[in-house]
Amino acid sequence: MAASSAGMSVLLCNNIKQIALFYPSQQRQSLCVIRGIYTPASLCQSKGQIKRKSAPKELVGVVGLEVHAQIHANTKLFSRAGVGFQAPPNSLVSFFDASLPGTLPVLNRRCVEAAVMTGLALNCFINKKSVFDRKHYFYADLPAGYQITQQRRPIAVDGTLTYSHLGGPKRNALVTRSVRIKQIQLEQDSGKSLHDDLRGQTLIDLNRAGVGLMELVMEPDMTCGDEAAAAIRELQLILQALGTCQGHMDEGQLRVDANVSVHKPGDPWGIRTEVKNINSVRNLARAIDYEIQRQVGVLDSGGTVQNETRSFDAKSGRTVAMRDKEGLQDYRFMPEPNLPPLMVYDHCSTVPPGVHPSQVVALEEVRAQLPEMPSVRRAMMVEAYDILPEHSFTLMNEEGLMDYFESVVRETKAGPRKVIGWVMNVLLGLLNQHSLGVSQSPITPKALAQLLDLQETGLISSSVAKQVFQELWKAPGKTARQVVQEQNLEIVNNSTEIHRICQEVVDTHPEQLQAIRDGNKRVLNKLIGLVQKETKGRADPVLVRAILEDMTS
Amino acid sequence: MRWSTQINNSKVPTVATWEPVLENQLPPPNEVPADLVDKLERLALVDFPNQEGLACLKKSIRFADQLHVVNTEGVEPMDSVLEDRALYLSGDAVADGDCADRLLQLSKQTVEEYFVAPPGNIPLSTRDRAMLKCSASKLEDTSIKTV
Amino acid sequence: MLSLSIREVSLALREGRISPVELCQKCLKRIKKTHHLNAYITVTEKLALKQAEEAEIRLRKGVSKGPLDGIPFSVKDNFCTENIKTTCASKMLKNYIPPYSATVVEKLFDQGAVLMGKTNMDEFAMGAGSTDSAFGPVRNPWSYQAPYREQSEADPDNDWVITGGSSGGSAAAVASLTSFFSLGSDTGGSTRNPGALCGVVALKPTYGVVSRHGLIPLVNSMDVPGIITRRVHDAATVLGVLQGHDVKDSTTTTNNQSTLTDLPEELDLKNISVGIPKEYHAPGLSQETLAQWTRVANMFEEAGAKVEQVSLPHTQHSIVCYHVLCHAEVASNMARFDGLEYGHRSEVASSTEAMYATSRHEGFNDVVRGRILSGNYFLLKQNYDHYFVKAQQVRRLIAEDFQRVFSSGVDLLLTPTTLSDAMRYTDFIQEDNRTRSAQEDIFTQPVNMAGLPAVSVPTALSSRGLPIGLQLIGPAFQDRKLLALAQWIEQRVGFAPIRYLGVTGEGAAGVDFRDREHISVV
Repeated sequence: MAASSAGMSVLLCNNIKQIALFYPSQQRQSLCVIRGIYTPASLCQSKGQIKRKSAPKELVGVVGLEVHAQIHANTKLFSRAGVGFQAPPNSLVSFFDASLPGTLPVLNRRCVEAAVMTGLALNCFINKKSVFDRKHYFYADLPAGYQITQQRRPIAVDGTLTYSHLGGPKRNALVTRSVRIKQIQLEQDSGKSLHDDLRGQTLIDLNRAGVGLMELVMEPDMTCGDEAAAAIRELQLILQALGTCQGHMDEGQLRVDANVSVHKPGDPWGIRTEVKNINSVRNLARAIDYEIQRQVGVLDSGGTVQNETRSFDAKSGRTVAMRDKEGLQDYRFMPEPNLPPLMVYDHCSTVPPGVHPSQVVALEEVRAQLPEMPSVRRAMMVEAYDILPEHSFTLMNEEGLMDYFESVVRETKAGPRKVIGWVMNVLLGLLNQHSLGVSQSPITPKALAQLLDLQETGLISSSVAKQVFQELWKAPGKTARQVVQEQNLEIVNNSTEIHRICQEVVDTHPEQLQAIRDGNKRVLNKLIGLVQKETKGRADPVLVRAILEDMTS
Repeated sequence: MRWSTQINNSKVPTVATWEPVLENQLPPPNEVPADLVDKLERLALVDFPNQEGLACLKKSIRFADQLHVVNTEGVEPMDSVLEDRALYLSGDAVADGDCADRLLQLSKQTVEEYFVAPPGNIPLSTRDRAMLKCSASKLEDTSIKTV
Repeated sequence: MLSLSIREVSLALREGRISPVELCQKCLKRIKKTHHLNAYITVTEKLALKQAEEAEIRLRKGVSKGPLDGIPFSVKDNFCTENIKTTCASKMLKNYIPPYSATVVEKLFDQGAVLMGKTNMDEFAMGAGSTDSAFGPVRNPWSYQAPYREQSEADPDNDWVITGGSSGGSAAAVASLTSFFSLGSDTGGSTRNPGALCGVVALKPTYGVVSRHGLIPLVNSMDVPGIITRRVHDAATVLGVLQGHDVKDSTTTTNNQSTLTDLPEELDLKNISVGIPKEYHAPGLSQETLAQWTRVANMFEEAGAKVEQVSLPHTQHSIVCYHVLCHAEVASNMARFDGLEYGHRSEVASSTEAMYATSRHEGFNDVVRGRILSGNYFLLKQNYDHYFVKAQQVRRLIAEDFQRVFSSGVDLLLTPTTLSDAMRYTDFIQEDNRTRSAQEDIFTQPVNMAGLPAVSVPTALSSRGLPIGLQLIGPAFQDRKLLALAQWIEQRVGFAPIRYLGVTGEGAAGVDFRDREHISVV
């Protein structure tokens, strides 16, 4: 999460100027120092306010999100052309998708189910009767000159998305928040334009035109990039669990636009901007934080924020104003006359007679078939494995990590708490370092399980285990046992041998010995360290400590 | 052949039973500023030479103003006669598409398997629009109405 | 032969008095002889002969596809026909060849009917005269018949009358005997209006009974494919073939209609109640039309039906309501015509918007562009409630007027179809398209608002020698009952349609006809 440094320094300067008005000069120094450690992370304290000691009411971010989730279905929303990624251009296009005159929309039942499932999972009220509208504008990738959407009466309204993120000063405390879902509506996706600047033309591929989307509108209940990112991450998990959307932002299956404004708490909301062109959860956070800072900067320097659309540039981490729409757009919404109202029923039994079962989407049946939600799974994990909610959260948050964890637990004698440490800190740390996903881990769950077993049975020490892990990372074909044998890493617990080494260390470090005897017990660790160094970390740490304690008492 | 109106017992009214709404019964006309016409022409991407667009629009609006003599208090707007029918839901099996050739054939300009549009969505500049109006008036002169 | 009804000619085919190919050839010849009427935009000669040959083979084998097998028909040029140019009488689609056929066209082909061609119309079905076409106006065949000609000394090419619209070509084709039936479209009366002015039967089915898939729309919430024939029974036959749910059109109903194609031969009117809506005596109604209306009302009464005056109080506002809703939908439906995927594309390539704007400018006539502009005005956020929603409210009032009357025991309504007989073209064009449409559609479009079925039946010729028609309106899904009553009228009014007059076929006046070169023959 990076606010641009340029923005930061402007903020610093301006605030210092302000403070200078109120505080005598000698205090300016220390205030600047406090400023110096002002980090983006502190933008989101648990109350979502920028905490500053004895500072006047400060501007805080107000963030809402507009999410477009591509419905995971075989065919499009209103036509039976197929849905796919990277098919030959214009091969997944029906006459209707190409807007040939005389063609009419025919609604895909699967899309209705997807929207209902998603709505129920997000605690929405499902409108038994919802309607479709046309939203008019001209664009090369919109063949009909309008998009069919649900503006007046969408299929689901008034839901809640509960999400968590790691906050607090050390960012390791689980903070749970929620954001209201204003509505979920069904609508058509547009085609794709490919700009051929060389020949001064735009190539149009309509494969995506007409694909079903669920637009989810999240109210501005969030205050910063971190929260928005966490909310979206949770949404991804939910949609993936439901199977209604595969949720990959980099493939355009999930698109997020942010509505950002700033205000002083208690004051009316400020002018908002819309930020687009965000292609990952991480960039979402970056974009929002940048935009908040930018707006604060504008206001602090006496300017006004423009109501505009801005594009996020991932390279620079900034938002850039998009081409002005030259006067105001007016979408001239109109009811879609070719589609009667969409009816969903409470229960199969409340359906009027004569209606064919294929025409019935009933809430109770859909609800009964909802799969397990991420929050439920997380809670179960905490129960089943006696791990912390923070652990469970991290496991779920990283794609594939939870399954990895469970596999290891199954195959090893080590307890889940031990495994958690390994998976979350050691494995994840290395994966992040190398920018790898869990599925790309060179160490399989089985391999890790074997390693842990070696430690568990006392064959190797914990520090050796970490060493072996590093080795396995580089040479994934080998087993832990092989590495241990090849490099002679078995634990040394021959007490005679250890005794000898300990004695040697003690004898060569009289100052430390005296310090310990004087009461500074922490110096013992240094001696332990020296012994381990001598034994290349293979000494049984418990034994070493015991012997040394004895020797230095 | 002539058919005489039978006087007795006819249920058909012999004279007109209503009169057209008069101009003075209507509320005063709304202003239609020239920039609104401009905006409309841009939103709709149709335009008219000179003041024709404005005149045509004003007439249409004035005619529509007759609606306001009707009392519609408490009346639910009617989207269509289908409001009591349920929407047909189709299965999710692929049955369309895979006809890029046939579609591309219909277009005047294509490149490989793509439709082609001029660069970007650069809004109509004032200069382009003036040109449009010029060429339009030329077209008006040459349109034929055969008798 | 050409003036027979479908039932009669079908019998003639089966009895071998004429073969499908001969019948087809007669029609084609007749088309050529009547090309001055400009009823056709495209004549599908090759296809027609091919279809006729296939019908002939079936006939010889004794395998008939149904009552329409081998019967020549035509289709308004706003119905998509696969691989056959479909223009909507507009420059925008002048060379558009759809890759698919409308459901109704496919159904007719499946029945073995023989397509003569695509008929002329007002551009994009906007108009009430069939005078605003990129291919020139359509002439009413009655302009060349004895009753009209006898009174005029003028050159027939100067005082011909209009067909009405917008399905003028279809009505003219059927009236001039080049088709046994024709498909038109009816949004505000576009089938019934020319039906009345051309002296033929014109049916507007209940909204949702016949599929619109493939009908290039004007107002989606009101459009209906219309059926034009010379006899009421023929209309019932065609309706029987066309009706039914279509999965490709979500506005079609699964409501099960009677599948009988035959109408009852005899009808007892004692249990029938006929309503005469008083508001349909509108300003401008001609005396002669009024006389016909009264005549038939009396006929019903004398036959034992209950005839009573009823009221549809919002009738006079219907046309304004239609104006707003129609323009708004038009503005929306026409948004797809930008030249990118199909249709006319201008040479301008400075930007997408510029290309769109010029293509639309070059492709659409004034009428279309005017409606688009106006429709967009009504849809603007600031105007939406004031005009569009208001019109929707008035629409409900109109629909409720009908509901009230029909639920009070009235079985159907009897009204005029048009204000008067056909106007001379030179007179008609004195007013702009919108004004004319507003005037001419006055009796027909309330029915489209409410989605009800209606049929126009010719009853007599006026003093000018031109047809006058009356309209029957029924409750939703009572199309068959409506036709039964229409047939009752038809059997008793003694209207004499145009007959095929001998080999020369020019009609009694023996007028000389000018060759037209712009009709394409495929």
